[in-house]
Amino acid sequence: MPLEMNRKLFLARILVIVLLQAFLANHASGAEPSPSSRSAKVPQRIVSLAPSMTEALFALGAGDRIVGVTTFCDYPPQALQIPKIGSFVNPSIEAVLGRRPDLVVGVPEGTDHEKVKQMETLGLRVSVFPVSSVGAIFNSVRLLAQTVGRDEAGAKLLRRMQSEMDSVRRHLGGSRRRRVLLVVGYRPLVAAGSKTFIGELLSLAGGENIAGAAQQSWPILSAETIVARAPEVIIEAGMGSEREAQRLRWQDLSSLPAVKEGRIYSYPSDKILRPGPRIGEALEELARLIHPECFARASSKREGGCEGP
Amino acid sequence: MKVLSRRRMVLVNGLLLLLLFISFVGSTLLGPVSINLSEAIRGLFSGGPHTDILFRARLPRVLLGLAVGGGLASASLVLQALLRNPLACAHILGVSGGASLGGILGLIVFPHLFLSTNQQLIGEISWVPLASFIGALCSMSLIYRLSLVHGRLHPYHLLLCGVIFNAFVSAIIMFLNSVLDFYQAQNLLFWLMGSLSTRSYLTVTFIWGYVLVGCLWLWRHGLSLNLISLGEEGAMQLGIDVDRTQKQLFVASSFVVGAIVSVSGMIGFVGLMVPHVMRLLLGNDHRLLFPASFLAGGIFLSWADTLARTLYAPAELPVGVITAFLGGPFFFFLLYRESRKNILHEPSR
Repeated sequence: MPLEMNRKLFLARILVIVLLQAFLANHASGAEPSPSSRSAKVPQRIVSLAPSMTEALFALGAGDRIVGVTTFCDYPPQALQIPKIGSFVNPSIEAVLGRRPDLVVGVPEGTDHEKVKQMETLGLRVSVFPVSSVGAIFNSVRLLAQTVGRDEAGAKLLRRMQSEMDSVRRHLGGSRRRRVLLVVGYRPLVAAGSKTFIGELLSLAGGENIAGAAQQSWPILSAETIVARAPEVIIEAGMGSEREAQRLRWQDLSSLPAVKEGRIYSYPSDKILRPGPRIGEALEELARLIHPECFARASSKREGGCEGP
Repeated sequence: MKVLSRRRMVLVNGLLLLLLFISFVGSTLLGPVSINLSEAIRGLFSGGPHTDILFRARLPRVLLGLAVGGGLASASLVLQALLRNPLACAHILGVSGGASLGGILGLIVFPHLFLSTNQQLIGEISWVPLASFIGALCSMSLIYRLSLVHGRLHPYHLLLCGVIFNAFVSAIIMFLNSVLDFYQAQNLLFWLMGSLSTRSYLTVTFIWGYVLVGCLWLWRHGLSLNLISLGEEGAMQLGIDVDRTQKQLFVASSFVVGAIVSVSGMIGFVGLMVPHVMRLLLGNDHRLLFPASFLAGGIFLSWADTLARTLYAPAELPVGVITAFLGGPFFFFLLYRESRKNILHEPSR
């Protein structure tokens, strides 16, 4: 029965594919490398497929081992000197191979899963580190540090990031949450939802994300929804260069508390809103925009935080 | 063809006008946020959230939707009649694609940085539609030329050219998308997705102006279009300057489509669906079909946009998604019906 055979063959193939995927996923998930393999081989030629990974590698003191970055990797400035292997969204496998790396690092949120598999088939060691939440970002730094053999630098970096986040929390104290809208795109208006690490940062910065009720990570919002949710602070994270134009864009909605109180800010998102070692800095910037009063009083070293107006 | 009596004209259009009015009121009052009308009106001088929602967020958008829907339906009605092809519409023929490419290039070339915000707004309102219009006109003449086989318009060539041209334009837009600044690129998506969101009455006024001028221009040719849609030879024998009329109608519909695409991007299927439904309901007299399609296009798009705003509240769906969900299956239905009718030899209705 050819049909029956076909079906069996088909099932067998599916099984092989599933098993292979499970194996690859395990391999690629950035699961902690076993100590033996780690001590055996500390990677010396690293290709980074994500700006946040590039930043983290530099922060861990492994910047001199990076041999390839994306065109989006512009921080720290030394990253600009490293050969490019394509864009963040679309890296070139050939270019990656050409750099003869012994480790390729990326984030599952940006790096195409298929490409990871292809690179692994080609014999490359690829590690992807999830960075979808603040907790995951901390974890990614820890795992990355282990992978590149910089455990101590990693622990130090994590302590610094943690203390930056703690300091923001101390400044904010028990202040009332302000309703915030963080805009990442116009026409249509796209906001950061609560399921992104940016949404999480907004909440940690003493804000209440008005796009938080949407199920999407990056919801499109209509003007009326925004008016109804009455944001007290609007942060423009789209294009930093058009600051004045964006400010004016909101002026016709005079009922918005953010317009009345003049709390519309622009934020150069491409520089700092990255899921990497600078999230502590990013958090402080956001907190300063949302609760400037808490930081104005910082010089007086007031413990116990500030209570907003 | 039935004789078009004044009574029928008034009756049909009166009814549609009434429906349009109901849709206008309905889509202004309905949305993800419920508003208090009396509070909104009371707040006209003092301001308030209800006023902002009704008069700043919703009203301009609904008004824009009426013009866009009406204009797209009218332009596509003309294209279907001119090309004697039921599958023709600005979108499928690649005219909208050409218009968005023109608009995008216009936006990129336009020296944003040297102008203040107000000047920019005026520039966007006058220059971008012009660029879109040029894009629409160029793509239409290109596709028209390419589909002429021995001096006659070949319907399948035309559709094929349109589809290929659309793919080509999308490729150019994707190319710009990947070479441009990441954050500028996000804004290009608007052209591909389409959106009616606007808060500017200035934009709305301008677009209504463009659309009305263009549609009246088209409407004037209703009678000639009746004859042309039955066959060019026949129309010529009856004393119509077919070539001249065709050219005028192509230019006028490019004008309408260009202006519309420049403010709303590519919203598909409105143009395809509405004229057909009207034809099924009202017959083939273009003198009646023009106003009827215009009104029905407005009605259809205003409800589609209301759904887009409300279904997934607080998030919003692209309005093109709604029109495509309704229009896609309808397109297949038409294609199926046509395939049973041998489109090559019989002028379609």
